[in-house]
Amino acid sequence: MTGSIEMAHATSTRRAVAAILALFILATVAVPTIAAQSIPYQRPVDTAPQEKTIGGGYKTPAAQKPLPRNSWLQLLDVAVLAAALAISSWLVLKRRSRKALVALAAGSLAYFGFYREGCVCPIGSIQNVAVALTNPQYSIPMVVTATFFLPLVVAVFFGRAFCGGVCALGALQELVLLKPVRVPRRLDRALGLLKYVYLGLAIFFALKPARDFLICRFDPFVGFFRRTGAPHMLMIGGAFLLAGLFVGRPYCRYLCPYGALLNWCTRVARRGVTITPDKELDCGLCTDACPYGAIEKMRAVRRNCLYCARCYAACPRDGKLARAKAQLVTLSAEPARS
Amino acid sequence: MSEHFTRRDLLHKAGRGAVLATLGGGAGFLVRKAHGQVVWQVDAARCLNSRLGEVGVAACNLCTTECVVALSAVRAVNEHSRCGRCNICPAYFNITSAVDDRGLPSEKLCPRDAITRRPIGKADPEDPANNFYEYLIDEEKCDGCGKCVMQCKEPLGLGSIVLRIRYNRCVDCNRCAISTACPKDALIQVPVEQGLRNDGVH
Repeated sequence: MTGSIEMAHATSTRRAVAAILALFILATVAVPTIAAQSIPYQRPVDTAPQEKTIGGGYKTPAAQKPLPRNSWLQLLDVAVLAAALAISSWLVLKRRSRKALVALAAGSLAYFGFYREGCVCPIGSIQNVAVALTNPQYSIPMVVTATFFLPLVVAVFFGRAFCGGVCALGALQELVLLKPVRVPRRLDRALGLLKYVYLGLAIFFALKPARDFLICRFDPFVGFFRRTGAPHMLMIGGAFLLAGLFVGRPYCRYLCPYGALLNWCTRVARRGVTITPDKELDCGLCTDACPYGAIEKMRAVRRNCLYCARCYAACPRDGKLARAKAQLVTLSAEPARS
Repeated sequence: MSEHFTRRDLLHKAGRGAVLATLGGGAGFLVRKAHGQVVWQVDAARCLNSRLGEVGVAACNLCTTECVVALSAVRAVNEHSRCGRCNICPAYFNITSAVDDRGLPSEKLCPRDAITRRPIGKADPEDPANNFYEYLIDEEKCDGCGKCVMQCKEPLGLGSIVLRIRYNRCVDCNRCAISTACPKDALIQVPVEQGLRNDGVH
């Protein structure tokens, strides 16, 4: 009894499967025959009917056309760049405040990085300038020219203020640097040469007839600014940030081609970071605090100094606390302090 | 200052002067040959989807896939003054699909359903050939895949749909990712005034 029920059950299942199969075959055969019954298409009209021919008061709608950024907004970018450079120079050279500088860097990261999505930046503008200088057909907007030259001119007077508080790529790396380790000086020097090679390659590829902008193509952080990008570039960017947790600003120190130009301009700079305003203590706290190996013999090496102001923050003779302590010392032990 | 003025200072000053002169000279040179803002533009005469003679090939969708912004900054635009406003529009309908009971192709062409149509005046069901329709492309849906552009040109259409760049979305990359991928070099940088004119329609 039980066996026959099972048998009946099995036959009904088999039938259902057969029916589904038949339907499937029917469908696969039938669909192309239906598709074959499309219209023999002929163009209905040879000329576009205009308002007059259509009649009935018909008005041709205008094609939608979103406008590019207003030119005054582009000027605003240059103005923001100039202002940020001025504030950065002032904060590092006069105000000597790391806190304020970090705030400025975060602001620059928000504006140039996340709002402007990393374009146009002085680093990439190297390529446009190189092409424009050599190719008579190629001309670049004033905004790009200004973006390229402003930080360099500032560097000739006040050092690499651009790196400290303005550059979005630098700010991103500055903010992730949690546990700086010292890179051996020899390795640091050797890796530092890479940026000149990169600068040369970037200019070479930009000037080739098949124009290729390497710096933009291999910008490791622009993907984060735009919240989208090629997976391999996002991975490289992530790797740079991971390394940047321990090695201070690896892109800036070893690869940034604009850093190479700033390095040259800073060699003749009028001013630079002076670690303590009057006299050094020779305690070496500043050297330990510098994640970029830019302090040698208790003096900031201008061409490598990235204007992060960490040395001020680490200096027992600098800042409000230091001044208070100095007064305490004056009161308690040192009456003859001028 | 003057009594401590050493040769080192002099060299330093001279170096600074030289660097400043170089920078100033370079900037001056570039400013003199500068023009205003430039924008990217799709040259319709070169674009595979819109240029004449490219018939029976698959539409090129590199503008969709290569652009660095999430929804491509390139989209299709219907230049209404050139639109035939056809009853059966080859860019709106998939004209190879089966005919439905209204005598129209049963499928639409746009994979994102970005094109809508509405009759101009009163549609006369008895005389479909003389019914005009207005075709609008929803800017927020279009991703610039170029399928409609490929269909709307000789000999099927009049070529009123072209690919354009929405400048509010374009981040104006130095090295436009589409331009480097485009097999026809159809992405060109033009002065902004030219980019905003309705040219490039063949």
